Formats: sequence, structure tokens, C-alpha cells
Amino acid sequence: MKIAARFLPVAALVAAATIIAGAQAKAPRTSWGTPDLQGVWNTNTFVPVERAPQYGTRAMMTEEEHAKALADLQERNKRPGRDSREVAGKPAIGTEKDVARAYNEFWFGDKPTKLSYRTSMVIDPPDGRIPPLTPEAAKRIADKREFLAALLQGTSGGHPGPISPRRAERSPDYNLDRINRADGPEDRGGPERCFGNGMPVVMGTGTFGGVMQLVQSSDSVSLYYDIGQGSGFAWVAPITNRPHLPKYVQLYRGDPIGRWEGDTLVVDVTNFSDETDFRGSRENLHLVMRFKRVDANTLSVQFTADDPTTWAKPWTAVQELEKADEKTTQILEPGCHEGNYGLMGMLINTRAAEKAFREGKGPDPATQDNATGGGDN
Amino acid sequence: MVTRSIWRGGMVAAAAVVLALAVSSLRTTEDSSTRSARMADGRPNLNGTWQVMNTANWDLLAHTVRPAVSQPGVYENHPVLAAPVLALGSTGLVPAGPGVVEGNEIPYKPEAAAMKRENGEHWLDRDPEVRCYMPGVPRAMYMPYPFQITQSPGKIQMVFAYANASRTIFLEEAPRPPADKWMGHSVGHWEGNTLVVHVTDFNDRTWLSRSGDFHSDALDVVERFTPITPDALRYEVTLTDPNVYTHPWKMSMVLYRQLEDNAALMDFRCLEFVEETFLGHLRKNQLVKHWEGDTIVLDVTRRVPEGDKKYER
Repeated sequence: MKIAARFLPVAALVAAATIIAGAQAKAPRTSWGTPDLQGVWNTNTFVPVERAPQYGTRAMMTEEEHAKALADLQERNKRPGRDSREVAGKPAIGTEKDVARAYNEFWFGDKPTKLSYRTSMVIDPPDGRIPPLTPEAAKRIADKREFLAALLQGTSGGHPGPISPRRAERSPDYNLDRINRADGPEDRGGPERCFGNGMPVVMGTGTFGGVMQLVQSSDSVSLYYDIGQGSGFAWVAPITNRPHLPKYVQLYRGDPIGRWEGDTLVVDVTNFSDETDFRGSRENLHLVMRFKRVDANTLSVQFTADDPTTWAKPWTAVQELEKADEKTTQILEPGCHEGNYGLMGMLINTRAAEKAFREGKGPDPATQDNATGGGDN
Repeated sequence: MVTRSIWRGGMVAAAAVVLALAVSSLRTTEDSSTRSARMADGRPNLNGTWQVMNTANWDLLAHTVRPAVSQPGVYENHPVLAAPVLALGSTGLVPAGPGVVEGNEIPYKPEAAAMKRENGEHWLDRDPEVRCYMPGVPRAMYMPYPFQITQSPGKIQMVFAYANASRTIFLEEAPRPPADKWMGHSVGHWEGNTLVVHVTDFNDRTWLSRSGDFHSDALDVVERFTPITPDALRYEVTLTDPNVYTHPWKMSMVLYRQLEDNAALMDFRCLEFVEETFLGHLRKNQLVKHWEGDTIVLDVTRRVPEGDKKYER
């Protein structure tokens, strides 16, 4: 009786807390006893990757801060974006920049209407900011930026100046960016070559934000990320105790190996390739991903990214994905490479433009901006 | 004495078995040594990586060894290797196989049979596999690369090493796709020990083999996966396509589970490698110096290997 008396209030508190938390249904389990991570997952709740400095080390907003941030978000949603017919506040109908915007806002889909109380996806370091780049990585990235700028010099999207002699140079890294040159397929960005998204996927909101399907068995989890313009991909993490592949074996989306730690599926990913770039990190990326079913409608996907050649220290970010209705949120196959007339067209067009220039029938292609897409960068 | 030593040997063997069992029970995860033949729901356990051991991807019908690309030889019906596979020697050959088609005949309509023959003659120009395109179903199942099955009660996901292709077999809710798919739309159910999958919503772009076998977008596929042993599945597939075939026809083969301890699904990532084949002629400065417009001119200048010269002396 004594024991019951002491514990009852605690039980009542726990029950009350559960109700307050939105009466979420419990996280389901599979028939073989592990937490069930399965479903089609996405998010329409906006969370910035890094924390605005005003929040300091606070991971969550106050009610007041949230109300203001939500009002700001709604205000931002009213901006015309790519539907704007202005460039830098001036009418720009028919200019190269205006035409290069190509897709109008419609294609980017619904804008986020919900805002998380979370101040950032980054939860470690405690300031919610990605740790500083190592001097080596900072130089790598600066070198690439300079190269990109040199190729744009003298075009509508670049700094004024003569055509840069650097147009004859090879990119300082394995190029994955949209650069203002089309000498061959390697000059076009990863997305234009249909390389597909890499890991980890940081999902966004809206049409291009991505949808993930997770199918699970006792010895593997099989993810399909339907994301971007045909950048979707399949990714299988075996649940096994085999060692990682030899280090020199580079795989585009790494060598994932999963294990259960309590109710969390931990996937250790190594053996990345220099053909992917996650915020400046390439083949030396080491990811530890943690998948946890928080409740019936929430899958927490957390990753710790470590690369001593890129960041001063490891950092961790988390996304809470929402369970989607599988009737209305379908997973579509990528079909990017299969329909990639764009890459061929880009090369054909550039060769034709070079020929026209040689014959005095057109401008020097080096003076045209084919890289910035008319964006406001 | 003899009896006794046999008995002693038996004891040693029994001890070894006990030890082996103890070691295997220490493994914390499921693998080939601990995987049970059945799932918690009683269905056959299909989890793991699988691959055929046949030559169906080269040719579905019975065939002898032949050059992948051939030119007439000295004798009729004895072709020799031709460019662009001439330099490959024995690795440029199609391996012989007994075939996987029931009755060893694909019931093409007359005009379709002509198209298949023409496709075969223009294999390198036309086969979507050469371009690293998604292989479609059933071809994905018998390409000479592994694929991984992740089996749950509601969905079975298959991910193929080749081109990162994948398919979801819906066992419960299966929303109809809004458009045709390279890999089709798969809806499955269990009939006892057999997984039966109905695949529809194909496009007309995929092939069935490197020999030019094809279909239209009216293709309808029914697959049956039946365990023969815990590590082998009978794979039967019936293809119906009134635009191309006079009546439904059937293939049958076996899928084998990879039992290696280090079995791993490693991407056969081909898309960036085929750029040189299909876009090389569009480079500003060509890597292959023997392009004439969009034609690769292969002189096949190949030095006789040093090893061979040694024996010629």
C-alpha cells in the first residue's frame, strides 16, 4: 500500500504528460520485436539547418518567439520569388536573367505553413551552428569559388572584366557545381548529370523537399528517397556485423552498416566518394545515422557528421519527419538519366554557339551566363 | 580397437558441432548461418542478397557461345569477334546457356519477330542496358549482378546493384502510379509458400535481353517466387503483351541467395561511365581522337601482349 501510494502520483504525472504531448499514439513495433520505422515520411514543418544567433544555446523557441518567427515566415511566403519580373528591384522583363529563371514559382510547390519550435536542425555543438571549416577545407572551398567566379567574369551573372584565361583550366575539385562552361559532361553539375542526391539527405518542405519510403526487415532497412528533380535513389542499410569495406573502395552513397542500440537503429556510414559533396565534405565523410520512431506519426532521423579534413569537430543534426498518407504521397522512380536530353542539349548547344561565334554569327559563348540560372545570387 | 577409435572421432566431431553452434549463437544479427527459413508471420524468409546463375540476360533461348558483336568469318555460321569488342578476346563472348523459356520459343507476332532480329543485330545501338537505363521487370531479376530483398508484411523492397534500380512490391495498399514506370508497378500476395506478383504500368522502353527481346507498354507480368530450399527460389514469370506476342509465354529459373559472410550490395554505378560512349563526340576537346561526327572510329590498334611474344620466339 505504501509503495502504491508513493508511485501513483508519478504514474498520474506521466499519464498527464502523455496527454499534454498531444495524445500521440505509441511507436509501433514489428512482428519480430524491433521498433517499426516503416512508412512514407516527409515534412511540411520548417526548421532552419543552423540557429540564428539571437537564440544562443537555446534549442527551442518561446511561444512569443515562435509567433513572431511564424509571422515572418508567412510574410516571406508572399514574396513573388521566381515569378518576379524584376532583378535587384528594377524591371527586367526579357533580360537574360529574367529568361534564365525558366521555371516559375508554380513548380516549386506549396510553401511551408508550419514552423517548428526547434531553433535549428543542428543540436550539437550547443550553439546550433556547424563547426568552423578547417583551414584546409576553407581553402578548398575558396579555390572553387574563385574558379566559379572566374568562369562567370564578364557575363551578366558575374563580375565585370575580360574573359578569364582560367576557362582553359580544369576545376580544382571533381566538379559537381553548375559552372559557366560546357566543354564536356564533367563541366555540368551533379544534378544535370543525374548523379542523384547523396547521403545524408536533409529534407526540405514543399515539392522539392523530398519524400522517403522506409521498408524494414530483420536484416536490413531499405530506404527510397524521392527528392529533387529525379534525384531520387535507393539506399539499403544491412543490419550486420560485417566490417566496413577496404577504405580505398569508394561508394557514391557510402558503405552503410546498421545495428540496434536499444530502440534506435544506428547506421555507420563510411567509404564515401569524392563525387559527392556534403557541405564541403567528400570522401573522408563519416556519418553515424540514428533512426528512432518517436511515436506513431514521427520518425526522428539524426546524423553525426565527422570529417577532420573539413570541420574543426563533429556535429549533429536532427530532423523529425512526419508520416505521410501513402494514398496521396506516392514514391515515384527517378528516371533522370533515362530522360536526360538536357545534358546532351547543353553540349550540342554550346558546340553550335562556338561554331556560330567562329563564323561571326553570334556572341562568344564565354560571354554568356549559363550557370546562375538567373537567380538572385 | 577400430570401433573405439571411430567412436572417439565421433566425439571430436560432436564437440566441434557444439562449439560451432555456440559460436553461431553468439552472433547478434541475422546472417546466413542464423537466418530462419520463415518470417514471424510464417511466410518464407526472402531477406538477403540474391542473384541468378544463368545467361538469361545475354539470351533467353538456348544458345551456344558466340561473339557479343560478330562479323562473318571464313566459314558460314562461324562468325568471329568484331569491333568494338574485338580487343576483348574471350571476355567479348556471350557464354553458352540452355535457355530459360518454356518450350524454348518466344511467341512473337511475325512483325515483332523481325523487330527482335533487327534489335539483336543492332544490340549495341539499341539495348537500354548499354545506356545504363533502368532494366525493367523481369530483366532486373536475371541480370548478372546481385539485388537485395527487404521483406516486411506490407511491402517487399528490392534494390538492384545495377544502376541503383529498385522496385516496391505492395502487399497491402497499392496506390496506382500516375504514369508509366521503367520498373512497372508491382502488387503482390502470398499463395501458401509462393509470392505472386502482378506487374503493370510499364513503358515500352525496356528490353528483356541483350538479344533484342522486347515488349510494348501493354506488357503484363505475373511473377511467382517459390522457395526450393531456404537459399534458393524458383522464379517463374509469365509475360502477356498482345501487341508483341501471339499468346502468353513463360520463363523459369532459380534465384540463389549469397551466403558469403561479406556479401554486400555494392552499386554498379554506370551512368557516368556511359557519358563517354554517348556524349564523347560532343566534347570541345575529345578524349577519344577517333570520332568522326557522332561515329566512333575504332582502329583497334592493340599491341600483342608481351606474354604471347615470349612464346612466339
